[in-house]
Amino acid sequence: MAADRSEYGEALPPRQELARLLAHPAIWRAGRAARMAVWPSGFPALDEGLPGGGWPQAGLIEILPSRLGVGELSLLMPVLAAVTRRPGARWCAWVAPSLRPFAPALEVFGVVLDRLLIVQASRSGARSLSLWAFEQALGSGACDIAFAWARQPRPRQIRRLHLAAQRGRTLGVLFRSRSEAEEASQALLRVAVEPLEGGVRVTLLKSRGGARGAIDLQWTARAEPAERT
Amino acid sequence: MRAGESADLFAPERPACPVPLKTVAPPRAVLPAAAAQTLSAELWLGVQVAAGAAQPGQEPSSALMRLATYAQRLTPRVALAPPDGLLLEVKGSLHLFGGVDGLRGEMDTACAHCGLRGTLALAPTPLAALIAARAGQPLVVLDSAQLIGQLAPLPLTALRWPPKLLDRLAYIGVRTIGQALRLPRAGFAQRFGAGQLKDLDRLTGHAGDPRERFEARVRFRRRRELSFELESRTALLAALGPLLAELERFLEARQCGVLELECRLWHRGHPPSRSTVRLAAPLADAARLAELLGERLGTLSLPAPVRACELRSGFPVPRVASSGTLWQPGEQGGSPEAGSPQLIERLRARLGSEAVHGLVCVQDHRPEAAWRAAEPGARSGEGSGGCRGAARPLWLLPAPRRLSERDGLPRYRGGLRLASEPERIETGWWDGAEVARDYYSALDTHGRRLWLFRERNRPHHWFLHGVFG
Repeated sequence: MAADRSEYGEALPPRQELARLLAHPAIWRAGRAARMAVWPSGFPALDEGLPGGGWPQAGLIEILPSRLGVGELSLLMPVLAAVTRRPGARWCAWVAPSLRPFAPALEVFGVVLDRLLIVQASRSGARSLSLWAFEQALGSGACDIAFAWARQPRPRQIRRLHLAAQRGRTLGVLFRSRSEAEEASQALLRVAVEPLEGGVRVTLLKSRGGARGAIDLQWTARAEPAERT
Repeated sequence: MRAGESADLFAPERPACPVPLKTVAPPRAVLPAAAAQTLSAELWLGVQVAAGAAQPGQEPSSALMRLATYAQRLTPRVALAPPDGLLLEVKGSLHLFGGVDGLRGEMDTACAHCGLRGTLALAPTPLAALIAARAGQPLVVLDSAQLIGQLAPLPLTALRWPPKLLDRLAYIGVRTIGQALRLPRAGFAQRFGAGQLKDLDRLTGHAGDPRERFEARVRFRRRRELSFELESRTALLAALGPLLAELERFLEARQCGVLELECRLWHRGHPPSRSTVRLAAPLADAARLAELLGERLGTLSLPAPVRACELRSGFPVPRVASSGTLWQPGEQGGSPEAGSPQLIERLRARLGSEAVHGLVCVQDHRPEAAWRAAEPGARSGEGSGGCRGAARPLWLLPAPRRLSERDGLPRYRGGLRLASEPERIETGWWDGAEVARDYYSALDTHGRRLWLFRERNRPHHWFLHGVFG
């Protein structure tokens, strides 16, 4: 056995050779982001922190704003605009939005409106129906992005949603309350959002293979229409 | 030479100065061109029903459609003459129904059955039969040699030419068909139009008059008695399987799909439960129909076990068959559209059709009128986005919410700090929903940017209208 090992040791390739071998996409090393297809977030500072350099193209992420409307939607507008403007774009579904998405503002951000699909379950049992609709949108393969506003989804449901998003190659974005940050979740990314003066502070609570900590983002003139008046 | 002779016999009288008549291509799905046959080879039965206020160009009424369907028992060659006429080619049917009288008796019965009062006329050309019936003359012309003589006293109004034209003809003393036929062809075409000359040629059989064949619209309806009473949704779907497979074959044979499918479930001692699936695009696939029906049945609460089920389709609609894609949607080269109608239909089947919609911008300065819900995929009209450059929030409240005030400043769960110059929106006086508001953006204690307005009119209340998000 000892002879074998020494032989093997002598045959070890040099450092560069090892790096080349380890760059194989099938090899994943702990502490590094697995290679995955991403959409650029539109904020270079955020892209650096996100695993893979952007929002994942297939999988579920969670956004946990401190309050509804602190800037979590503006944070996603650049990616929504870029994805809907792509030729051959699929739907971008909004499941159970808490208020009315305002079409003229979306258009100012450059979002192509005819790719949007608003799903609003109004009947009783709307909570479970919304989660069902979200899972359908994620798993159907007909959506590029699906947003959902859900109250207290269970960890099992989140796991289902994540698998559906991977099956349908969809970026699923689940907006949850900040108070649910302590709960376990299968999502690829968990991002807390707090308001700043003229911007937003993004804290990566969980990012598989990405950086941790807070990133301060300032709205650029394009991302914030108010500054153009 | 015989062929040449017969051609001469029936050729229109050659005018002294040849008129360039435009030949008209026959419309699609036509009955055999009459021009190729000798005149006496056909005998048309024209039916004019007494319709209340039928306008030319109007759709034929449902009673007329029923009559046409009924008339298909008498002959396979039935043509509609909208809005109130019907034409049957009955040469071959005469001896089957006891001659002219027997056939007219059958047709009278048919009219009575459909609740219509009709005038019948028989003539060798379809137009002649139709206008004789329109003129209220129950003519029976079996011999083409007598046709012109019998038509001559009929008024020109039965041809339904434009009233101005009829007035001009009446001004020169031409009121009947016989008088019109005596006019020189070249001059007639120049003064009254080549189309009208063509009508006269069709009337006398000198020009072909192809008619579109009437095809009855059929719907699918099948009922199945169950050998066991069923309650579970999966068992019901399995019981509906053969019916759906039959529906698929029915639709495929017609290259059609359905837009609406109703399922009825019969119970003992209760009225039948109904469930309707509406589709975004014509569909004939049994598996997908079963999936959608399953969603509908899931929302249905059954009062009792089911002992019979029935499927009823809407009218079949022509469907464009598509081939499957090699790639999954979203993959490189995968078609994005392939999965989208399925998703929308599945969501609508469960949530209701109004629960899924798209957004379009509307050219209006009032925020609540600047957008509306539309069919998914609908595009905004030209010139939308009139507010480009102004601050607009991503979220709009369903209705403005009145804010409390302290010292003339608005409060929303704490104090608000106004963060912008006012933007005045004062418009809408023309449709009764007039607004006169000054919009501000404001920061609340949580750091959110809100969109507020203050009414310009008394009592100058403050309202919250949007969140910048």
